[in-house]
Amino acid sequence: MGDVLKLVAKRLGLGLVTLLVVSILIFFAVELLPGDIAQAVLGQSATEETVQAMREQLGLDRAAPIRYLDWLAGAVQGDFGVSLVSGERVSEAIGGRFANTLFLAAYAAVIAVPIAIILGIAVALFRNSIFDRVANVLTLTSISSPEFFLGYVLILFFAVRSSMFPAIASISDGMSFGDLLYRSFLPALTLVLVVVAHMMRMTRAAIINLLASPYIEMARLKGAPPWKVIVHHALPNAWAPIINVVALNLAYLITGVVLVEVVFVYPGVGQLLVDAVSKRDFPIVQACCLVFAATFILLNLAADVGAILTNPRLRHPK
Amino acid sequence: MGMLKDKDVLLKIRDLHIEGYSDEEWIEIVHGVDLTLHRGEVLGLIGESGAGKSTIGLAAMGFARDGCRISGGSVEFDGMELTTTPKSDLRALRGSRIAYVAQSAAASFNPAHKIIEQHIEAPLHYRIQKRVEAQEDAMALYERLRLPNPREIGFRYPHQVSGGQLQRAMTAMAMACRPDLIIFDEPTTALDVTTQIEVLAAIRDIVDQFNTAAIYITHDLAVVAQMADTIKVLLKGNEVEEAPTEQMLESPEDDYTKSLWAVRSFKREQKSRPTDGSPPVVSVQDVDAAYGETKVLEDVSFDIYPGMTVAVVGESGSGKSTTARCITGLLPPLKGKILFNGEEMPPRYQDRSWEQLRQVQMIYQMADTALNPKVRISDIIGRPAEFYGGLKGTELKSRVDELLDLIELDPKKFYNRYPPELSGGQKQRIGIARALAAEPQFIICDEVTSALDQLVAEGILRLLDKLQDELNLAYMFITHDLATVRSIADEVVVMQQGRVVEQGPKDAMFRPPHHPYTDLLLSSVPEMDPNWLTTLLEERGVDNIGEAAEV
Amino acid sequence: MNMFVLGYYAFLIGLSCLAAYYNKRSAFLLLFSLTLASFVLGIVGGESALHAIAASAAILALAAGTSYAFREFLVMITPHETARELRTAPLTASFGMFVIFTYAIAGVFAPIIAPFGEGEVIAGAFAPADDTMLLGADQLGRDMFSRIIYGARNSVGLALIATMLAFIMGAAAGMLAATRGGWLDQFLGRFADVIMSVPSLIFSLLMLSIFGTNLAVIVIVVAVIYAPRVFRLTRAVAGNVVVMDYIEAAKLRGEGTWYLIRKEILPNSTAPLIAEFGLEFCFVFLLIAGLSFLGLGIQPPTADWGSMVRENATLISFGELTPLIPAAAIALLTVSVNFVVDWMLYRSSGLKG
Repeated sequence: MGDVLKLVAKRLGLGLVTLLVVSILIFFAVELLPGDIAQAVLGQSATEETVQAMREQLGLDRAAPIRYLDWLAGAVQGDFGVSLVSGERVSEAIGGRFANTLFLAAYAAVIAVPIAIILGIAVALFRNSIFDRVANVLTLTSISSPEFFLGYVLILFFAVRSSMFPAIASISDGMSFGDLLYRSFLPALTLVLVVVAHMMRMTRAAIINLLASPYIEMARLKGAPPWKVIVHHALPNAWAPIINVVALNLAYLITGVVLVEVVFVYPGVGQLLVDAVSKRDFPIVQACCLVFAATFILLNLAADVGAILTNPRLRHPK
Repeated sequence: MGMLKDKDVLLKIRDLHIEGYSDEEWIEIVHGVDLTLHRGEVLGLIGESGAGKSTIGLAAMGFARDGCRISGGSVEFDGMELTTTPKSDLRALRGSRIAYVAQSAAASFNPAHKIIEQHIEAPLHYRIQKRVEAQEDAMALYERLRLPNPREIGFRYPHQVSGGQLQRAMTAMAMACRPDLIIFDEPTTALDVTTQIEVLAAIRDIVDQFNTAAIYITHDLAVVAQMADTIKVLLKGNEVEEAPTEQMLESPEDDYTKSLWAVRSFKREQKSRPTDGSPPVVSVQDVDAAYGETKVLEDVSFDIYPGMTVAVVGESGSGKSTTARCITGLLPPLKGKILFNGEEMPPRYQDRSWEQLRQVQMIYQMADTALNPKVRISDIIGRPAEFYGGLKGTELKSRVDELLDLIELDPKKFYNRYPPELSGGQKQRIGIARALAAEPQFIICDEVTSALDQLVAEGILRLLDKLQDELNLAYMFITHDLATVRSIADEVVVMQQGRVVEQGPKDAMFRPPHHPYTDLLLSSVPEMDPNWLTTLLEERGVDNIGEAAEV
Repeated sequence: MNMFVLGYYAFLIGLSCLAAYYNKRSAFLLLFSLTLASFVLGIVGGESALHAIAASAAILALAAGTSYAFREFLVMITPHETARELRTAPLTASFGMFVIFTYAIAGVFAPIIAPFGEGEVIAGAFAPADDTMLLGADQLGRDMFSRIIYGARNSVGLALIATMLAFIMGAAAGMLAATRGGWLDQFLGRFADVIMSVPSLIFSLLMLSIFGTNLAVIVIVVAVIYAPRVFRLTRAVAGNVVVMDYIEAAKLRGEGTWYLIRKEILPNSTAPLIAEFGLEFCFVFLLIAGLSFLGLGIQPPTADWGSMVRENATLISFGELTPLIPAAAIALLTVSVNFVVDWMLYRSSGLKG
């Protein structure tokens, strides 16, 4: 087991370093602004005094590395400073919305992951049949469509023409859980459509990749029926790539959420981020980026650790 | 073994045709083969690669690989016609009445399950035994196959067990349901000679004990002579001839079979070192080398003189190829030096001059990976001449023609072709031509014949010998095949685990007394005599064959 | 029960029986499962559901016919070698090629095809379709059809430029890393890891918020974001080639890096790289469309499909299809490219699976 722990520890360390580098990237990217933040936010027309006042308020007179350390120290404690536009605390602006975004992503993931894996195994089992081909065309179509296209199609059919679900996913704190699920059904479904197609294809590929291995032929020559060949012989060796696929897609959900939130006017971080970008509200943009990147890195980390833990060669060393 | 116990027929194949799918069409690869196998009989199927041995072996189970199909004829197993039997009934035969032992046990065991779990899968599936019974039976079989720790070894994962042991475990797995027939598909090809013996002995033993019929597929005549009652020779999907083993060995009828038997006849005069005091072309002196932390070479020294062939012999992992990498400069040694014509060469190839690089050329084992598939033959051969000699235009073309003539390929036919269009032997010849184009004094031949069929390999050896005479080349010949050493070497260097255990002129090496390892190596090479294995086992003593060989 | 419903079922069942009779297993399975699905849908959705199915089937049949004809056309006009390859293309791939071909024509000849100018206001806001306006007018009264045609030029063109830039950077770095190895390889690999550990949309939003949304910024930012993906693939493909003995032979001959890349590695990596170019284009295209949709990509009045969806989104709540048309144009192109790439990957993977 020692080797496995060492590998996992190494991977965790690497993840942490990556996160640190990304935080540096996010912070110093803003420093690349022509002029400085104060000037960029206030524009050309601002007087020298107002710009100077803002500089002082932001502490721009200190060296960038020191400001970075301050920012990072704050970020670790959940304090990202103050919004340049509204003056609200960034952590407050993000907090509730981030929970909403996570809820939507989790909602989609809970539906999508089991469906995708089961369907992926099924099409691998019936590979090259007519169902496999139809599934291939459908999944390709689904991953090729922009999220907003799928979103609007769903709105058109399920909200406008048949009004089964609300087109605008307005949710608030006091709602019951059932109500939450009902109101955010369409955005979740949009995400599910994209992600299921992706995961299904990759699960199928992961399994089919293994089918050429000699041990699969051996299993067939021992008289194992097709489902057993897939489930008992191929699947245990396919976990590592499948876990990777799942993590990759969960990470993708985080990105996809931004577009879907805008389509359905869902009160999540995505909306906030888009607004902040157009208003050049840098503290919010930086905070959102860091939060998204951290989630992304965390998921990839989980996938790698999962792959290490399911590898029999590593789990049972010589 | 020995005489057939009874005469009832177990497997009858008549006029079998098999097709393979390539380039959008079905091409016939087995053209009407007949085969009859009695209960308890062992049939050796022998032939070169592409003869259709494995395909026929699998067809005996009613199985065709993806991209293959049985297109005609009949396969009758114990009165059941397998070509028309529904899939589910066919499946019920596999593992229970017909079992299969694959070439690479390491790849054919599922890495995710314990060995014994895979062993008892079939008995449980067919409800022949209960779980505990099946496990007990597996352990009993492991013991019979003389696996170490038979009660414990099954509970390991495949990667925790050595190759030779895995191959025996797979034979045990094939025996799990006590099948009537086992197909052995080159079960010892991937093993070293010293490991091969124990697996051969174990297989022969167990097949004998349970009176199981077997089809033993191999390309190695000496191996099949130990195992089979009857031998069938195949060539390109056709049967050449079939006869009882001893008759086949003594008096083969067909010309092709005779040529197979005669293959190892090529032998040339042994040369001795020049006496005029000229320095060796290459002198390896006290070389140590390592990959990262693991040390792979220790204190390796030997000399190669002009016009001579030095064979470096050893099993996989002995450091033969690493020594070659040190000489070429791909792996700088930790200590020691490489002299070329008495001058020390820089350890890294990047630091060597073009002249130094030109003098040391290499011919590779796998001609497929040694030639760029997207480059024309004329460019492959022409590039060194252009690069070192600065040849251009018609000069370059005539040089390429000359080189093609030298390797006995028609320039008109081969000048404009690409490597994938060539056969294995032709590719290897192109590899030789590329080495010659640099006009070197010294060529490293890394297992150049081991991927080739015997007749083709023979041709390559003759060509290399001819070139050596004409161009006064020195060869370092890396090989694990002692037959090749016998035919072409002047001097032999025996390596084991990164050290040179013995070296000297060839005739001295093949005459006792030997170093113990050389002895083990020499005595482990199968001979054409059907009683060789039996005699050897008696000499070594039965208890000795198992683990002794793995030390 | 009217004639249409009766005819519909009779047609499907008849075809199923024919397929079964002639032992066309997969056709039968498809037809019969469609029949069964129609029963359910017919009961739930009534006649209109059946109409929809019939209409989709007709569209599919039309697409299949077009693809078939287009493939035969291509086989006829291309030289022998290419034609042999093309003959193996499934209908989906030839459909993809047909669509790509159409888009290319629309993009190149946009000013000739489009009846009105890109920014020309010719009617009232959201005017319905009539004889002069095929698809009606947008929120400012510009001709929707003309803007879609121009969109083919702007959206696709921009994505193509960004993809090419990403590809040149990524492929060059990947080849260099694979050939040189050592610290350069390590450094480039780590660098790519860092960029790829920020979600692409988020990263581009950050960059656009800093540098503003003009076209050059978009192209460069998108290229920088996607270059690491190309780098990784090229590194992997070239990595497989670099371990070959012929590369060792060339290195031992004393050949330089540039020769190795150009003569030995590149010719053996083209097939996967072309497929990757297609995939990469899809990602870039979708990302830029997404940015435009968020109002942060291509800026008005330039006609662009992503922004057109956003501008006309309000029409959705009136049950209008119009805003879906530019979105569908985006989807159709990415689907088509994916179809072609799928076929190429299948060919180059050695027909496994």
